[in-house]
Amino acid sequence: MTAPAESGGLERRFLLGGGAMLPLLAGTATAQPTPATPAHEGRSMEMTLQVNGQAHRLALDSRTTLLDALREHMGLTGSKKGCDQGQCGACTVLLDGRPVLACLTLAAGVGTRPVITIEGLHGRDGGLHPMQQAFLDQDAFQCGYCTPGQIISAVACVRQGHAGSAEEIREFMSGNLCRCAAYPQIVAAVQQAAPLVEQG
Amino acid sequence: MPDGFGTDHQRIDGRAKVTGGARYASDVVVGNVAHAWLVTSAIARGRITGFEDAEARAVPGVLEVFTHRNMQGAVAETEFFAKGGYVGSTIRPLESDQVWHAGQIVALVVADTLEAAREAAQRLRVRYAEEAPAAGFDAAGVEVVAASDAGFEDAGVGDADSAFAAAAVKVEASYSTPTQHHNPIELFTTTASWAGGKLTLHEGSQFVHGLKHGIAAQLRIDPADVHVVSPFIGGAFGARGSITQRTALVAEAARRLGRPVKLVPTRAQGFTIATYRAETRQQVKLAASRDGRLQALVHEGWEVTSRPDAYKVGGTATTSRIYACPNVRTKVHMVHADRNTPGFMRSPPELPYMFALESAMDELAYALDMDPVQLRRINDTQREPIKGLPYSSRNLVGCLDAGARAFGWERRSPAPRSMRDGEWQVGWGVATSIYPAHIGTATARVTLLPDGRARVQTAAHDVGTGAYTAIGLAAAEGLGLALERIVVELGDSDLPPAPVAGGSNTTASVCNVVIKACEEIRARRAQGQQGAIEVYAENVPEGLPPDSIGKLYQGRNALGGGLEGGKQAMAAFGAIFLEVRVHDRTREVRVPRVLGAFAAGRIVSPRQARSQLTGGLIWGIGAALHEQTEIDPRSARYMNDNMAEYLVPVNADIRQVEVLLLDEQDTQANPLGIKGIGELGNVGTNAALANAVFHATGTRPRDLPVRIEHLMA
Ligand code: FES
Ligand code: FES
Repeated sequence: MTAPAESGGLERRFLLGGGAMLPLLAGTATAQPTPATPAHEGRSMEMTLQVNGQAHRLALDSRTTLLDALREHMGLTGSKKGCDQGQCGACTVLLDGRPVLACLTLAAGVGTRPVITIEGLHGRDGGLHPMQQAFLDQDAFQCGYCTPGQIISAVACVRQGHAGSAEEIREFMSGNLCRCAAYPQIVAAVQQAAPLVEQG
Repeated sequence: MPDGFGTDHQRIDGRAKVTGGARYASDVVVGNVAHAWLVTSAIARGRITGFEDAEARAVPGVLEVFTHRNMQGAVAETEFFAKGGYVGSTIRPLESDQVWHAGQIVALVVADTLEAAREAAQRLRVRYAEEAPAAGFDAAGVEVVAASDAGFEDAGVGDADSAFAAAAVKVEASYSTPTQHHNPIELFTTTASWAGGKLTLHEGSQFVHGLKHGIAAQLRIDPADVHVVSPFIGGAFGARGSITQRTALVAEAARRLGRPVKLVPTRAQGFTIATYRAETRQQVKLAASRDGRLQALVHEGWEVTSRPDAYKVGGTATTSRIYACPNVRTKVHMVHADRNTPGFMRSPPELPYMFALESAMDELAYALDMDPVQLRRINDTQREPIKGLPYSSRNLVGCLDAGARAFGWERRSPAPRSMRDGEWQVGWGVATSIYPAHIGTATARVTLLPDGRARVQTAAHDVGTGAYTAIGLAAAEGLGLALERIVVELGDSDLPPAPVAGGSNTTASVCNVVIKACEEIRARRAQGQQGAIEVYAENVPEGLPPDSIGKLYQGRNALGGGLEGGKQAMAAFGAIFLEVRVHDRTREVRVPRVLGAFAAGRIVSPRQARSQLTGGLIWGIGAALHEQTEIDPRSARYMNDNMAEYLVPVNADIRQVEVLLLDEQDTQANPLGIKGIGELGNVGTNAALANAVFHATGTRPRDLPVRIEHLMA
């Protein structure tokens, strides 16, 4: 088991009177009802996460990963937990524009850097992002559980200039396991979307 | 434009899946939920002698530590699924101090937060009295039982041993296949909540009606008070078919705490709280006349299972029926060890057993100095040899021919080590694929609305197979509508029951009943009925008893078809062609291309069918080259219980994968002529790979997975 180490050096402790409280304090627009999550004295921290262009003010256990913060505290369950150990890629999100494994990232360490999840991806017209459309067209998934992570990695693959050949795409995308094995279709989807996704 | 069978279409659930909108079990937000964490056994055999739980209970936010001390008697004993029950393992954790296998659940800690539950679980100390476990085949203390003594029929005909002794050309070899775990990417999560005495379960399931009735029996409540919600399933592959014991524990914890409880077990825990594909050892003897006609086939297997449960794979029921052979003897043995109970994993009997048979066929082809495609053609039959039942349809030869042509098989030079490309030895292999075509009793409700939209409701399951789309296409066909006018609702135990998503039966079972409902709607419309028309239909396939509807309503499956019962044998066929490259010095094995040609009846939903078969072929490559759960022989623990060390194919492992779908009309198998394809793609692929490795290197891999060290000269 890989319990993330407690992060040190984080000064802002938010002491609560105990019992249940809402972790969302202000400034959010999540559609999902948010479960009440008691935070316990000494463990709880107040933080503001910038996710998909919105500020989420939260009080979380200092050990909470970015993945659990998204899934359990913001109702953003598009990012998936497949291992909680950095081995499967299902939790991949963009942090400051770069792909990271949200299960290995402590929420408390994110700071003000912007986070983009699958829910925050969209095309120019507000519809599907070209990569989402390409996954749909190419049938690049089956159960769909790895798909949010695959799509986020695929966007990064193109943006970072690794979609030049099928070989290069396969290599870049190999951190995202797909147990249904939609790999050939995933490569085809990245190739379809590549010309439509800005690099850099 | 109306859609229908064979229309190429995007998945109708695809948009939800690419936007993150698809809600899998652990995605469902439940108010005031408490979080559970499992503690699992550090030993494989023995007793729990005590707990030190003061530290665990002192963790802020901990609500309860459940162990056998406070849970004994909470979960009722229920029958093993193979005996007509619901559970995939009769080992009841938290029932007593007994430990049956490593990783057995010994405590369930519930807390306000995930972090607190995890910390408390880590702080719980468990004391054991350990006994030496038997980890598997070679261990002292295993118990070997002939499957025939446990109700399994060993297929046979003629006198195989005399025919073998007398035959002109023969081969005899032993093979083995490893322990494998399904490892769907979605973990084995469960969220349970109670309201007014009614239980709602959010859990990925391949059989929501089975889960509903099984959990009701375990918790001694009325099945009407259980609601299972599982519209999206993050991979299953057999792992979510029968009930695991964790569900009742989570539900009971929620009942006692008066609060919803959510469990997200770790990846490692998934190796021991659910099932797996048991390792096998097999022996095959084949004998033929000089012209290649089979004279004798002997296939024996040994399979590991747990101490209490008689789970058997029994692939000899299939391997004995593929080729024309007058003399067949088979025998299966179960080896009871101190392990968790194994279970169905994609193509459960066929994947391991066809590896042995199809490897042996390749060995026989070399012994005969005959092309391996030709050997399979010569021994093709339209009747299975055990009972002489005719195949409802069978086009193995068409698959072999089409596949060989597309692959360029005629350019193969037959001798081992005779093909190369620079520093790489090149090998081409072939194998037969087969999967029995099943169809089950099913029900569905179809509603045609006055505005020309329709809704299909049935408690079938889309485990990634494309069932939503296939069932939608059936309704489109039946009502003459475009697919976008149809809404399909699946995976909910409040819907009319449908069989388990297993044995590749869903498309056949559900499309046949949906078409029946649509015909009734059309008939009523023709009679002038106006307004919304709602029709509920039941379908009992030929050969299944009428009371199978009642059984289905009790969460019990009735599946027919296949090779063994009835008046005919029903199966889908395929031929797998595969190229490997083995590096001269490093001995690494690469698979630049694989091609499968399949004759599988009517293809309802071609784009998704291709994805299924592509995924199956890649599973076959994984089964041959990557996957193996390693077991410590002393502690009987799984050593590589994580996704970094349990190897599955990644994107860079896979190059060209080609699927050919042959036209096949089968009016005998079921009215719509549908056969299953979900499990067809990976059968035989492991043998095709091993055969290709032999062709490349002259070394015959008989033990999977094929590893570099096996190919060191
Ligand atoms: S859940 Fe983060 S890599 Fe698997
Ligand atoms: S689509 Fe199922 S794991 Fe990738």
